[in-house]
Amino acid sequence: MTKRLAYLALPIVVAGLAAQAAPVSPSVEAHAVDFMRDIAPIFQSRCLICHGPDKQRSGYRLDSKQDAFSSGFEHAPNVVPGKSALSPLFRFVARLDADHVMPQKGDPLTNDQIELLRAWIDGGAVWPDDAMVKAADPLDWWSLKPLVKPKVPTATAGGAAQNNSIDAFVCEQLAKRDLVMAPVAEGRALCRRLFVDLTGLPPSPEQVEAYVRDASADKYEQLVDQLLAQPQYGERWARHWLDVVHYGDTHGYDKDQPRPHAWPYRDYVIRALNSDMPYARFVQQQIAGDVLYPGTLDGVVALGFLAAGPWDFIGHAEVAEDKIDGKFARHFDRDDMVGNAIGTFASLTVQCAQCHNHKFDPVTQADYYSLQAVFAAVDRADKPFDTDPALARRRATLILEQRKLAAAAGNLDADLTVRGGLPLASIRQDIVAAERAASQGVRPEYGWHSAIEALPESRKWVQVDLGAAVGIGRVVLAGAWDDFNGIGAGFGFPVRFRIEASDDAEFASVSQVIAAHDLSDFANPGTTPQVFAGGSIRARYVRVTITKLAVRKDDFIAALSELQVFDAKDQNCAQSAVVTSSDSIEAPVRWARQNLTDGIYPAATGGGDALLALRNRRDAQVKDLLDAPALALRAANAAATAQNTNAIAELPPQHLVYAATVYEGSGTFRGTGGMGGKPRPIYLLARGQVTQPGPLMLPAAVAALDPLLPSQFMLAPDAPEGERRAALAQWLIDPRHPLTWRSIVNRVWQYHFGRGIVDTPNDLGRMGGQPTHPQLLDWLAVTFRDDLQGSLKALHKLIVTSAAYRQSSSVANAAAQRIDSGNTLLWRANARKLSAEDVRDAVLAVSGTLDLTPGGPGWQDFVVEQPEHSPHYRYDLSDHEDPKTWRRSVYRFIVRSQMQPFLTSLDCADPSIRVDKRNECLSPLQALTLLNNGFLLTQAKHFAARVLLESGISTAAQVQRAFLLVTCRMPTTTESEALIAYANQHGMTNVCRVLLNLNEFIFLD
Amino acid sequence: MRKSASVDPGLAGLSRREFLRHSGGGLGGIALSSMLAAESMPRGSAALLRAAKCKRVIHLFMAGAASHLDLFDYKPLLEKLDGKPSDFGEPVETFQDGLGPWLKPVWPFAPHGQCGKLLGETVSPLGKHVDRMAFIHNVVSKSGVHSQATLLQATGFLLPGFPGAGCWASYGLGSLNENLPTFVVLPDHRGFASNGVKNWDAAFLPSQHSGTVIYPGAAAPIADLQPHRAGDFITEASERDAQALLAQLNRNHAAAREVDSRLFARIRSYELAARMQLAAPEAMDLKAEPLHVLKLYGLERGPQQWPKEINDEEEAFYFAQKCLTARRLLERGVRFVQIWSGNDNSFPRRNWDSHEDIRRDHGPLSHGMAVGTAALIEDLAQRGMLMDTLILWTTEFGRMPSSQGGKGRDHNPFTFTNWLCGGGIKGGVTHGESDEWGYKPLDRANPTMGYDIHATMLHLLGIDHQQLTFRHNGIDRRLTDVHGHVIQPILS
Repeated sequence: MTKRLAYLALPIVVAGLAAQAAPVSPSVEAHAVDFMRDIAPIFQSRCLICHGPDKQRSGYRLDSKQDAFSSGFEHAPNVVPGKSALSPLFRFVARLDADHVMPQKGDPLTNDQIELLRAWIDGGAVWPDDAMVKAADPLDWWSLKPLVKPKVPTATAGGAAQNNSIDAFVCEQLAKRDLVMAPVAEGRALCRRLFVDLTGLPPSPEQVEAYVRDASADKYEQLVDQLLAQPQYGERWARHWLDVVHYGDTHGYDKDQPRPHAWPYRDYVIRALNSDMPYARFVQQQIAGDVLYPGTLDGVVALGFLAAGPWDFIGHAEVAEDKIDGKFARHFDRDDMVGNAIGTFASLTVQCAQCHNHKFDPVTQADYYSLQAVFAAVDRADKPFDTDPALARRRATLILEQRKLAAAAGNLDADLTVRGGLPLASIRQDIVAAERAASQGVRPEYGWHSAIEALPESRKWVQVDLGAAVGIGRVVLAGAWDDFNGIGAGFGFPVRFRIEASDDAEFASVSQVIAAHDLSDFANPGTTPQVFAGGSIRARYVRVTITKLAVRKDDFIAALSELQVFDAKDQNCAQSAVVTSSDSIEAPVRWARQNLTDGIYPAATGGGDALLALRNRRDAQVKDLLDAPALALRAANAAATAQNTNAIAELPPQHLVYAATVYEGSGTFRGTGGMGGKPRPIYLLARGQVTQPGPLMLPAAVAALDPLLPSQFMLAPDAPEGERRAALAQWLIDPRHPLTWRSIVNRVWQYHFGRGIVDTPNDLGRMGGQPTHPQLLDWLAVTFRDDLQGSLKALHKLIVTSAAYRQSSSVANAAAQRIDSGNTLLWRANARKLSAEDVRDAVLAVSGTLDLTPGGPGWQDFVVEQPEHSPHYRYDLSDHEDPKTWRRSVYRFIVRSQMQPFLTSLDCADPSIRVDKRNECLSPLQALTLLNNGFLLTQAKHFAARVLLESGISTAAQVQRAFLLVTCRMPTTTESEALIAYANQHGMTNVCRVLLNLNEFIFLD
Repeated sequence: MRKSASVDPGLAGLSRREFLRHSGGGLGGIALSSMLAAESMPRGSAALLRAAKCKRVIHLFMAGAASHLDLFDYKPLLEKLDGKPSDFGEPVETFQDGLGPWLKPVWPFAPHGQCGKLLGETVSPLGKHVDRMAFIHNVVSKSGVHSQATLLQATGFLLPGFPGAGCWASYGLGSLNENLPTFVVLPDHRGFASNGVKNWDAAFLPSQHSGTVIYPGAAAPIADLQPHRAGDFITEASERDAQALLAQLNRNHAAAREVDSRLFARIRSYELAARMQLAAPEAMDLKAEPLHVLKLYGLERGPQQWPKEINDEEEAFYFAQKCLTARRLLERGVRFVQIWSGNDNSFPRRNWDSHEDIRRDHGPLSHGMAVGTAALIEDLAQRGMLMDTLILWTTEFGRMPSSQGGKGRDHNPFTFTNWLCGGGIKGGVTHGESDEWGYKPLDRANPTMGYDIHATMLHLLGIDHQQLTFRHNGIDRRLTDVHGHVIQPILS
């Protein structure tokens, strides 16, 4: 039950009294109304803005007793002690008077608040003479106060000598309640806790044994260092981070399409953590790495952060930006980026200010839309980049040269235009008109489209069945038209191909060649039909075999609009013929095999031959107009351009990362690339409605924090978009920022202890929690920022070497249990339930099958059906024996719309929402998953095989070994006997299945 | 195949409420425990203080956007205008090229029941129940994009990441039984609609409130209910002994860690799992139904060989199979069943997204829906269950009164139809008309929103929709966001 009465969460600051919000709901009848506790907060939060020191609407103010009881023009006195029904103040807020309803803005007071006011007035309206109600200071909230390093308490009342400052703070709090820390956990438990906490993997029994036997005084510190140095540390903690940033490998929404290039961001997070990148840089790179760390791999792939969340593919790709639904899609796209950036790094819920000012925290609607303006130029898309800086430079040089050549060509052309005069201008106009006519005449039945391939060399074929053998006079291939990626005419026309004829539908036996263009590239003919003489070959089937595909975007396809086969009587025998092909994207109306013989192709509707003739005429004119040197210059430019184009084409392909980028697209999803990355105008939207734009917003951060650090970015009006993001990144990492440093240390603390110092790591605002150890939190934040220089590894070490962390979890302490049953004061360690990924990785580890290969594209434990439109991700068809699926869980390909059943049942994070804290349930469905899921049962077999291999045929030895692997301890005699009896009856695989279901396996002491 | 485990006496110390907190459900734990053990209602359960008119919900969701104009919302003007160029008297933004000529209803309409409600011929099997149904023809969506609009009707938000309506019911009320999930989803037999599980998963609510997917008639109707085929080493005896051994080892382990109630809750969850293994197959065993009931649903012949193309018989079979399964689940204490008709948006059409041809796709889908739903209403009424079961029919938006140049209709988020039936619903009424074309609400200032439908549903379940909240990332979230009014005129 998380619902609280809203006003209890509001700041309560009363002169001379800093009251804390009472954690229980007040029952009005149950206790006498206290002005300071019950009434002042209502005035402060709901009245003073209009009736306080700044404004006195209707001449009324109620911050001091005298004014409250006397001022207020014709309504005075507004409070009549003892008589609520006669007090205007009460009548107005209780809505008893239709002409005067208060407060005028926002929700009415709650029933509880109204009842408190009634009880207060009827009880005599007691207001202590010296009590002033102060206007709420927007920054008067613990997390918005400047960060000051508190003094470490010196008293050691809580227990043993404290070498670690954390313990000084914890013990001080405990001592206040007469509590002490639990003794240190026993070695085996501590070792297992540390392994899982730092690397996400259980220790082997041998590692535990070695640790327990080690007599050196600093063995624990050594183990900490050793584990933090393992690559598994980064994998473990990256998983936490990916929860927070809602990373996924598909878009989500409708047609949940895959993002094959999302993973470089996931690998970046792992790499950054393993290299202990200073936190400030980690923040900077994820928001503006391209600007602040140009020319680096990390600077580019880190931008995957901004694109990590879900994306409405249809809302972008099928709905243009000027439509209402299109605007909404792009609004939500930026909203997700804003939420991710501010929610992750500052733990501030700015998205609440989308429709109105934030009700609880000092975030205005203007702040929110200023933050949207930061991301106004970027979209989510695959961003190309080079990993080799030298290559990146070479590419940049060539592209610069390309631009220069284009400019030179333009100059030459300007000269030609002058010389050509009207005749040339007119023929050029005709060409443009013909091209437009050709494209506009395109019918929606485009043609046949092959499957999409990563490489051009993939072989494809498409053929027609003429029904009976005919004498082939000629074969005609007509190019298709599709403005996808701005390609237009000749979309997908085969680059290298052969045309063959045969009476064998399989073309397995003899076939005769009609045309062979498979040794050199065939110039793209646009939509002009290409004619190939048939040589009167007699055959029933005509096949086009494509040996080199056409480029589409970053991939390759073949497409044709029409295939005609004319016989001796000049009759098209292929009209409506049955079409077969190696593959086909069947997406009617546009693309379908049958469209290849439907008689519909662009050249038939204009363009085609006519266009070709016009172009020939133009070329002839140009020749006549220019003298030899001019022609030579043109030829040289053309040659240099061709060379440049070839040089660019020969560069190794660029890498891609799915990231925030200035995108240049076509169709409805255009991005801002076409406008040189100029940011879209962002307006303050009244009530969050795209149909109600208000003032234009400039990029900025949260203005209320101005007393601490400036929120305005002061950018030139035409500053490149990246500077907006860079400014936001700098604002976030400012040492004066009150939230950033508290946010990260709180998150880290939570993952170590199972509960944050503030229990709402994504919300340090007024709807979030209060810190259990405010001084400790601030001390950690400042220490992390300054002393540790933002080193997360140093922070981990500081925390896990504290006595607080090393406590036993299973002490019986009735007094402590009574005083603090939730263990918020840390009088013991919290036993922890393994997370979903922990369970899966631990199952693989004990079964001996875990593949520790790091990085790269995510492994997939599903089969994709119907990938063309709406992929069905079929987990039920997964092959659990496929070793590719035995890698660590962090490397899983994460589908948003069809979540992985095993991990989802075990409460893994939902990649559609920013998860700061996993849910934890223990449902029957979870039990069924661990008992019956194919993954677990498959691994139980491997586990049994491993145990047999390591322990020989003795059942007792196998049982012992299996138990040891799962729990890191030897079984007791009772346990051994029970397990051996079970093994003798049902075999070791069944034993292994039972062991993997043990509470002791799933919980860490 | 296995004995139901009895509650372990060693679980003393784990209060019923504590257990339910781990495994049963939030507020629901409260509701269930008070129902079963008559414990006092704790403070703060203000959301639950209303008198409930119904205990259960069947949520029928037509994925892809079902045409109100061809099924439930008769527009005689379209008969007259058919084929003439459409003109809405104002600029209209459609999803595709939806402003072709006016298109009359594809099926003839005829009056039914005492109220004389006009229904399209294709849904005429529902005719005998119209006096039990309340129609709302002015439902408006906030988006004309399938994914967002589907989420809005299913979760109350346009973005993924919010709990489904059934999750809220589960969170608010908990379970009526311990052996079956509280919220069950019966997807289209072809697969999920757009957004997949995001239409019904728990999002930020504890995961036990998530919809549990059941495929009636499938080889493995519930994931992991029985061992995967890799578990060929498991026998009845090994399973029985495994449960006992596991309980024994877990109890030993927990004995030394009494402070941690989760350990006991987890032992208990295995007992419940064993019970569910018995209860779920029994609940889904349609063969246990007497012949006259199978006949009522048209299921007496079982599955057949059907043509590849979408067809009446196949749709009727699968939809009715889900309806009968739903009734059996409700009877056994499942709180909320969501039945889907229609797969994702693809080719050939396999949902209600009839851009090309209403008759081709809507025909079989609506026939199947009507046959199954009519049988379900009849069946529930005969058993006396209709009075405390709410049936809610919805879709993500409607379709345009104009064609796309051919036989199909484009998206119409501006108005569409929902209907409700059963517990607490006034029958034979129509609330909220659409305009003369069925393009927008007749009274544009007072449309019905999905929020209002959800508020009404929760109201009938005895929940104040404004009070049922869960704090997530700084906001007290609720099913109805910051909106929603109970639709009083349709309440009995």
